[in-house]
Amino acid sequence: MTTVEIFVGIFEGFRVTATVTALGLLYAVPFALVFGVAQYLTKGMARLAITAVIEFWRSSAVIILLFVFYYVLPVIDIQLPAITVAAMVLGLNAGGYGSQAVRAGLQSLDRGQFEAAAALGLPRRHILALIELPQALTRMAPTFINQLIQLIKGTALVSLVTLTDMTFRAKEIAESEYNPVGVYTSLLLAYFVICYPVTVFGRWVEQRIGGRKGLTNEF
Amino acid sequence: MNSDGQPMRQTAPWPVEISQHHSAHPPDRTVAVEAAALNKWFGSFHALKDINLAVPQGSRIVICGPSGSGKSTLIRCANGLETFQGGTIRIGGAELTGDEKQLQKIRRTVGMVFQQFNLFPHLTVMANCTLALRRVLGKSRSEAVGIAVHYLERVRIPEQAHKYPAQLSGGQQQRVAIARALCMNPRIMLFDEPTSSLDPEMVKEVLDVMIDLAADGMTMLCVTHEMGFAREAADQVVFMDQGRIVETASPATFFAAPSQERTRLFLNKMLR
Ligand SMILES: Nc1ncnc2c1ncn2[C@@H]1O[C@H](COP(=O)(O)OP(=O)(O)OP(=O)(O)O)[C@@H](O)[C@H]1O
Ligand SMILES: [Mg+2]
Repeated sequence: MTTVEIFVGIFEGFRVTATVTALGLLYAVPFALVFGVAQYLTKGMARLAITAVIEFWRSSAVIILLFVFYYVLPVIDIQLPAITVAAMVLGLNAGGYGSQAVRAGLQSLDRGQFEAAAALGLPRRHILALIELPQALTRMAPTFINQLIQLIKGTALVSLVTLTDMTFRAKEIAESEYNPVGVYTSLLLAYFVICYPVTVFGRWVEQRIGGRKGLTNEF
Repeated sequence: MNSDGQPMRQTAPWPVEISQHHSAHPPDRTVAVEAAALNKWFGSFHALKDINLAVPQGSRIVICGPSGSGKSTLIRCANGLETFQGGTIRIGGAELTGDEKQLQKIRRTVGMVFQQFNLFPHLTVMANCTLALRRVLGKSRSEAVGIAVHYLERVRIPEQAHKYPAQLSGGQQQRVAIARALCMNPRIMLFDEPTSSLDPEMVKEVLDVMIDLAADGMTMLCVTHEMGFAREAADQVVFMDQGRIVETASPATFFAAPSQERTRLFLNKMLR
């Protein structure tokens, strides 16, 4: 196999890598928003419970979570499809990190923003939705892009739960073709080809935010 | 004409919907804000001590005093941004209970202008002004825009409506903040050192707007060290020190013949 053939062979796993990333985002984004906001708004026991959930997903090793959900749960008769396990574990892990970005973004806002909005008689939910979140999310956008890149790279682990992603394909090719240098260099290149545009996009977003203060209009 | 017999300074005739907007609350409430035996602690620190203060509807009261004397804390109690531990506060006759729904309702009638402007940086000037009109008072977009344009004209910056706060000077931002509060047609306006973070050359444009407001009969409770404003616009000057009201007097008496030694010391420092 030529290097080009190897590279094309690896890209046969692109669909799975992309699918896990996209489904992972479906878990990550809502989790980050809901739990980040909840941690920001709650106090006491409620906050402790929310923090515990976040920390579970954020602090556990992704590879162990994958094994637990894929190989251990069937023991108690819960059999989830590999793709579901992969998207959920990777997504909620990324969402755990994302929730901290959301909370930090909300906390970093000047207290005066809340006070000015409250002084106008706006209810709490409007202050959150119209004043705090838009500013926090804009501020956090570069962090989210970084976490998206982490998520894409993290999908390499799903080969361990039988999914034929790019890394799995690379291992398959490496077994039939004795060319570890060619195979794994191609694999590196394959992830770079996907992640680099995202990095560029992130930089563009960052510049947009830096260059222009206001981004949205109430209308 | 307003109650002082001075002509109203208006840049535009009032559109019909705005005059309706302005008759929203009946003028029978004679005291806009009243604090009685008000006490406030931050932990063990006694920040406000037995404050008794009434702001009659239509009056202008200036609060001054040294840093840390509790001026901001007092004015922030008057719209529920601070809680308090003893005494009562009444806004337009209604006692503050700490109930969130009641607070929201009362805050619609109390405008507040902050030292740091606190405009919403992600919204245009127009959106800053129309946000609460639409979301709190449920006005239609065109109605809200009409009201906002009116008050932006009043603070003399209608041409900046499409800009973002960061594109404006400090003085312009503070005038937008005043317009934003006025849009809600408040019964009283609270100002907490509105000119203290402005470059000296911008202080006047903001004070001019405030003096206009006073001349039009707006009820105002204003923390400021602008003694010129106090002389020109205030009915009463309240001097605070260490969480207490030390002296209350008309501007003429306050500046010429204060009765308390602490007031004299403060004025000597201020006017030197
Ligand atoms: N959130 C808070 N927690 C603890 N102490 C506070 C808090 N806010 C204010 N204080 C204290 O209460 C006192 C009064 O503060 P306040 O801000 O009302 O003073 P001020 O008269 O407005 O002063 P300045 O002229 O500096 O604005 C000060 O000693 C201040 O340190
Ligand atoms: Mg203060």
